[in-house]
Amino acid sequence: MQSLPIIPVPVPVLRLPRGPDGFSRGFAPDGRRTILRPEVGEGRIQDPPESQEQRARAVLRERYLRSLLAMVGHPVSFTLHEGVHVTAQFGATDLDVANFYVSQLQTPIGVQAEALLRCSDIISYSFKL
Amino acid sequence: MAMRQTPLTCSGHTRPVVDLAFSGITPYGYFLISACKDGKPMLRQGDTGDWIGTFLGHKGAVWGATLNKDATKAATAAADFTAKVWDAVSGDELMTLAHKHIVKTVDFTQDSNYLLTGGQDKLLRIYDLNKPEAEPKEISGHTSGIKKALWCSEDKQILSADDKTVRLWDHATMTEVKSLNFNMSVSSMEYIPEGEILVITYGRSIAFHSAVSLEPIKSFEAPATINSASLHPEKEFLVAGGEDFKLYKYDYNSGEELESYKGHFGPIHCVRFSPDGELYASGSEDGTLRLWQTVVGKTYGLWKCVLPEEDSGELAKPKIGFPETAEEELEEIASENSDSIYSSTPEVKA
Repeated sequence: MQSLPIIPVPVPVLRLPRGPDGFSRGFAPDGRRTILRPEVGEGRIQDPPESQEQRARAVLRERYLRSLLAMVGHPVSFTLHEGVHVTAQFGATDLDVANFYVSQLQTPIGVQAEALLRCSDIISYSFKL
Repeated sequence: MAMRQTPLTCSGHTRPVVDLAFSGITPYGYFLISACKDGKPMLRQGDTGDWIGTFLGHKGAVWGATLNKDATKAATAAADFTAKVWDAVSGDELMTLAHKHIVKTVDFTQDSNYLLTGGQDKLLRIYDLNKPEAEPKEISGHTSGIKKALWCSEDKQILSADDKTVRLWDHATMTEVKSLNFNMSVSSMEYIPEGEILVITYGRSIAFHSAVSLEPIKSFEAPATINSASLHPEKEFLVAGGEDFKLYKYDYNSGEELESYKGHFGPIHCVRFSPDGELYASGSEDGTLRLWQTVVGKTYGLWKCVLPEEDSGELAKPKIGFPETAEEELEEIASENSDSIYSSTPEVKA
């Protein structure tokens, strides 16, 4: 019996590294290393307004993520810097919405079959449901 | 079972990652700072790559970044003509050091009391961090913009590199002790205190010199132009990355190429071993920071070696497979476009 070639198995990982959450600069005040600094006698933060804001953020976040799902496979028109407009079929976004994967990107100099658009380069975009 | 390297991709940056540095090992583990053209250096947990925070304040690309030994302070060098010192615990800006031109490199002394900076104005500056108002000491003599400057020999000496020259300075007398000239542009330098070794990359070469005398120890030739190299703390291996998107791993003693990895979608700008040597990090033109295992398959950080009998069945497979699948899909996407996307060199773009 002919021996099969050994196919290397990728090393499993427990999870992906956590990236920025998108709307804060990080350095959690209750992080593990804060004991390195003298304690600041801050007053207790009121719960109601904070939890209200948190709920509002959660609702907005869910709406945005659902809009991304709705966008999959649709032609989307992007407004970029320097007055550039391009159209492409939306495919996916990465975990922290830093890049959009698109196909059939119609650019001023031709059609790109596959591309990644940096979200920081995008001023706005629109698509028809 | 043969294992294949699974790099951990650290997301967050949106522009090329041009410099990175590890702290020493602290009671809270070790930390990693990355410098990026997006102007937002980031601090991460070193062994997992988890984001801790972003240092906000620079108004231009950040070219250099470093942490002090115990990761309580960070320093950054930027295109907005400033270097900044940060509290690496709270993320707050502590100090802004105005320069007359783009700043490319920063380095703390071992005791974190002084900061060395270098940049396009060809001057080395030494700031006393305990006297923020005082003018820095200046060292002139470089004939091109300074790319890298490092304290060495227990902070008694300074190593600096401009376009094609590496110079050794005496801190006490502020004079040049010795210099090395290369026929090609020096792309990076790394200083290893244990053994007083200096790693210099230029062209396709990775050269090792004595940091005390600048005498050559040995050198390696890579298949492509190399932008950065790092020597393992135990001096068993070295890793290097450059223009061909690949990372190379060599045996330091024999010079044999042990492994090479593709995974980045653009030229690699910087690569560094962690202080414990268990992993190395790479930063690239593709805007990502990746962590690679030194010993592939060892259980460490987020990597977990699962033996066949440990597999818990069907449920485990999708979870384990997902990151790799995503990675492969991205690689397939990038391979079709890599020529057109990354056809120009970083120097041209900058």
